[in-house]
Amino acid sequence: MSLTFIGLPLLLWSLNDLPQRTALKDSISVLTIIAFSLMLGQFFLARTSKNILKDYNLTKALKIHKLIGYIFVPILLAHPFLIIFPRYFEAGIEPKEAFITLITTFESPGVILGIIAWCLMFILGVTSLLRNKLPIKYKTWRVIHGILSIMFILIATRHAIMLGRHMDRAMSICMSIMAAGGILLLLKTYILKSSKIEGGTNE
Amino acid sequence: MTIKQINGCIGCGICVQTCPTDVIALDPKTKKAFIKYPADCQICHLCRMYCPVDAITISPEKSIPVIVSWG
Amino acid sequence: MNKSSENTDISRRKFMTLAGGAVGIAALASLADNKSWAANESNIDIDKMQYQENQTDVLVIGGGMAGLFAAVKAHDAGTKVMLVSKGRLGASGQTPFAKGIFAYDPANAKMSLDEFVNAVSRSALGTNNPVYTKQMAEHSLARVNELRQWGFFDSPLYYNSFNKPIKQRNIPIQERIVITHLIKENGKIAGAAGFSLDQEKIHIYKAKSVILCTGAGGFKPNGFPICDLTHDGTIMAYNIGAKVTGKEWNDGHPGQMTNPAACFDGWHGMFERKPDTTGIGIRHDLGVDQNYSSYINGNPGSTQNGNTEMGPGLRPQNHSSGGPYRPIEFQESGPPGGRPGGESGNRPGGDRPGPGNNFGPPAGAPDMDFPPPGDRPDGNSPAGFGPPDQGRHPNNRSDDKHPGKGGHPGPRGISVGGSSAGMAIHKSEGLVPINEKCESNIPGLYAAGDALGSYMAGAIYTQIGSSLAGSAVQGAIAAEAAAEYCKTIEMPVITKAKISKVQEEILAPLKRQIGYGPAWVTQTLQGIMIPNFILYIKKENLLKAALAYIEELRDHHMPLLRAADMHELRLAHETANMIISAEMKLKASIMRKESRCSHYRLDYPDIDDNNWFAWINIFKGDDGTMKFEKQAFGSWPIS
Repeated sequence: MSLTFIGLPLLLWSLNDLPQRTALKDSISVLTIIAFSLMLGQFFLARTSKNILKDYNLTKALKIHKLIGYIFVPILLAHPFLIIFPRYFEAGIEPKEAFITLITTFESPGVILGIIAWCLMFILGVTSLLRNKLPIKYKTWRVIHGILSIMFILIATRHAIMLGRHMDRAMSICMSIMAAGGILLLLKTYILKSSKIEGGTNE
Repeated sequence: MTIKQINGCIGCGICVQTCPTDVIALDPKTKKAFIKYPADCQICHLCRMYCPVDAITISPEKSIPVIVSWG
Repeated sequence: MNKSSENTDISRRKFMTLAGGAVGIAALASLADNKSWAANESNIDIDKMQYQENQTDVLVIGGGMAGLFAAVKAHDAGTKVMLVSKGRLGASGQTPFAKGIFAYDPANAKMSLDEFVNAVSRSALGTNNPVYTKQMAEHSLARVNELRQWGFFDSPLYYNSFNKPIKQRNIPIQERIVITHLIKENGKIAGAAGFSLDQEKIHIYKAKSVILCTGAGGFKPNGFPICDLTHDGTIMAYNIGAKVTGKEWNDGHPGQMTNPAACFDGWHGMFERKPDTTGIGIRHDLGVDQNYSSYINGNPGSTQNGNTEMGPGLRPQNHSSGGPYRPIEFQESGPPGGRPGGESGNRPGGDRPGPGNNFGPPAGAPDMDFPPPGDRPDGNSPAGFGPPDQGRHPNNRSDDKHPGKGGHPGPRGISVGGSSAGMAIHKSEGLVPINEKCESNIPGLYAAGDALGSYMAGAIYTQIGSSLAGSAVQGAIAAEAAAEYCKTIEMPVITKAKISKVQEEILAPLKRQIGYGPAWVTQTLQGIMIPNFILYIKKENLLKAALAYIEELRDHHMPLLRAADMHELRLAHETANMIISAEMKLKASIMRKESRCSHYRLDYPDIDDNNWFAWINIFKGDDGTMKFEKQAFGSWPIS
């Protein structure tokens, strides 16, 4: 698992012919790529993998799922700020101005998708944190979580492919396959296991 | 290659306006900036410094032969 | 479910194709650049070309330091003003790279205003116009204070601080419009015309008055950030009868041998610095000293591993053995940053002793008075990414902050000549002023900054940081004069015939079925004007030989320039301007049979005050040919 969702993107990152940047900038890039890749991996670290995991391992997988969520969702939420962060240390436009330009470039569908994905991820994060305090049943929450996840990953992957600095052909294919695989797996789980909620999954 | 690559462009168009020698253009379809006239780049780095997402990479070599007076 | 994965996949494929397409276009474009005589593969439908008329009282052309103040002050004087620029406000011409601005503060200055003017005049060997020298110093502090209010000193990038006063006043501004023509009706200025780089559109501007803030120009030389400056304003004005001066003077900046075209790298991070102010520091620099030395002795850098004591600076290696004359008082000033004896300035940050610390910013690197590449003792890393606080420090106004930085910029490299080829010393070339108000001989036409041949600093580089200050001061002066002029006249009428003629001329390269590629013609021009010390160590025969080639370009290439798109249309017009300027430079250089300041004739190496205590004015005769006249130093034009 970790080999696929950490190793593969890292390998692709190291293979692409992008110019080297400062250590800070490259670290931020790597962190963001891994964080996003792990989001794709979340689809496989869930009930979706029940068939291949034993019950004990499933519990463990869900724990990891939570852990990854709590660590890497905030990183991705910070991702728009991380892009402009290095500007604090170099001459150029002010970071604040860069950020405002960044989130107001509505001519670009990629930016709009990014903002939507950011909001979805924010909702995913909050509803996960407050799951026990929400007045809904666990199973309902799970369905909502699944639907939100699919919406998020579709939009976020598209956003990443459209705008990602490191999105060369290999990285795009890799991310697309991972996303498609994750969504398929999730949909398959729901459709096979609980036919009741089938209607809600198709976007 | 002078101005070399644009990666992670969000299509704000500031580099297009900022380039004194009109090297960069926005692709109407992808909505992204691309290097249209690399031979005219004077390697001044204004585009890079104005870019909000630091998407532009510039190298010091000129893409066309350079004429100097003596050296 | 398949649908969703397909979705992602399609967008990916679509993206890859388009990205590939973009690369393809770039490759094609660069190939096309090198074609000389070829069919014009234009994809522009001339019949669909749009047309827009604009009207204003004062039209300011150019968005640099002079243009900024021209627009702001014309507005404040109560006129309707519009600013139009080939690039973006504060990000085109030489302004974005000029980092030092002179401020004469009478409260702290160690010299009186008159003493200052006299010292500049002594260094300039009479070539300066003391009225403009004094005007610059007198108003510099007021302009600097305004700039400070607008945030100019807070960022290495000038767009925001320039835009602030423009926005506050709601001054209309049009960017990325290439002005190609000034329009004259009934002997007076009536407007201008040009085209947009972003749309297929012709712009006509009707105006009572025009202020040219178009900078000077070069032959798109490598290593100096002036590739967008191609003498446009000067030649446009020349074409409607304005007098032009200063074409024999030369900026003698060297470049660096490694990657000579990389002007950012050549200035070792200076472009990333925030601007700051400079105090009095008068020199006699950036002429032909180092060029002469290299001509006589060979490139000094190449025998010393590029690690000369001064770096490949401008200090003459063999100064006493002939070559350009340097007044004794300014001998020590050698390379910029050196201090003329005893006058160590009144910089707010305190004095810095001695001439040892050459090129320390801001003393040496201010202005467009770039230090020679590789000669910045406290520079940033050559890679361009400076230390974190570089240029971001809230208060790096004075040089005493920098020396502590220590770190040498790294390999200094060997220098090469001609990095600013085609450009004269700041403010020594451009329109001839008929008075102290930046007014040209064409009623209603004013110029400010490097577009005005004000001789504010003379024909040699004198006061550090004065170039930027002078542009600000002259912009304001020209604006007030233009505003005053506007009150006296009605809005001029531009005839239909004139408009269609101008339109025809603008579009001609686009309409040409077959012709010369402008980039190729420019390269040919560079090949004639840059090598062989043509501009630096002048000899009659060589100048005449170059002139024969330039006249060939003028007669047989200029009329046949082609353009496939708006970018090439710009190149075509710029190339034509450079050809005319090259002709002016060569002819003026042949005419001035003496050596003085930044004009050096190997065949007339001495100063000749009897015959040449005069500037050379150039104008278009009634027969369309280039005419020349002398104007005594310190006088105004007679007619």
